[in-house]
Amino acid sequence: MHELGIMESALGLVQRCAAERNARRVERVVLRIGTLSGVDPDSLRFAFEVVSRGTSAEGADLDIESVPATAYCKGCQEEFTATAADFVLRCPNCSVLCGDVRRGREIELSRLEFT
Amino acid sequence: MSNNTPTSADETSLGYEIHPLSGAAVLPGASLSAPLSAEISAAFSASPDGEVAVRSLDLRIPLLEKNDILAERNRGYFLGRGLSALNLVSSPGAGKTTLLERTLDDFALQTRCAVLVGDLETDNDGNRLRRPHVPVAQITTGTVCHLDAGMVARAAQSIDLGGVRILFIENVGNLVCPASFDLGEQVRVVLLSSTEGEDKPLKYPPIFKSAHLVLLTKIDLADALGFKREIAIQNIRRMAPQARIIELSARSGKGLQEWYSFLRGLAPAN
Repeated sequence: MHELGIMESALGLVQRCAAERNARRVERVVLRIGTLSGVDPDSLRFAFEVVSRGTSAEGADLDIESVPATAYCKGCQEEFTATAADFVLRCPNCSVLCGDVRRGREIELSRLEFT
Repeated sequence: MSNNTPTSADETSLGYEIHPLSGAAVLPGASLSAPLSAEISAAFSASPDGEVAVRSLDLRIPLLEKNDILAERNRGYFLGRGLSALNLVSSPGAGKTTLLERTLDDFALQTRCAVLVGDLETDNDGNRLRRPHVPVAQITTGTVCHLDAGMVARAAQSIDLGGVRILFIENVGNLVCPASFDLGEQVRVVLLSSTEGEDKPLKYPPIFKSAHLVLLTKIDLADALGFKREIAIQNIRRMAPQARIIELSARSGKGLQEWYSFLRGLAPAN
């Protein structure tokens, strides 16, 4: 349940950025979460409801963009991206299993919309 | 929205640049993406004069940035002291503490080791691991389900690391949360015991993907339990092709020499 802590730090950032811009209300919060980040999007949504209560972000839309895993194949010297939630990273060219993960571990506050 | 557009001086001091037409704020050096520009235009056309327009702010801020920075600091500190740090992660009961007890009684007699051990409550594991020749710090996390780089930094400062070549960091028993938290270790070790299912690697991809070494523990029990070693190894290879695999038993001693020789390979000669 580390999603609660992660969402608390996200909300802290959101409020700071919104306050600096004299925002009245936060309309939308966009996160980018890698499929290999170890963070569960549903838990994040639940945590957002809890921690945003009584703040300028209460009721805002929470968009979670999923970042699929991208790995690097040494043999082919090329990156390839896994399909949605496939965690077995096999190079589509040479079928070798690859462990050099280049993307898919992101836990990012990506964008804010506010009025 | 009448005349409340902030001046450019205000904006500079905030560290943002203002898109001249939309009023959207972007971080310096970042430009508005095409989809974002389109979205802003759409928001504008939907807002008749006098309405407050929706403004948009591109951020791209890693949420674990603080932890990641502290982890890099730990890594530099460990490297500077000439020691290798290992982050041991597994489900509760996979045998982290038992393996460390055995390792401290054998390997640590030749190569100086230290241990940081994390649990939600009690210092039982710290007491089990304490030896005259091994500095040990117990970290109790309270309700937190993982160690983070700050806890490791504080605990590492609390013990004498003089002459230490190998620092074991025994994480909280948990195969999920520790995956997201870099502690500044050189090597991440994931333990999978024969008392767990052969398919654990398939069920917990992030932690296995991040492993440098997977230890298949309690291998002396495999036959009695009907644990299918080949299938477990095949699953580890599929999920963690980057990881080395060592099968061992802290009780029977099988595989321990391979584990110790892995550790010797990490410890810089002194």
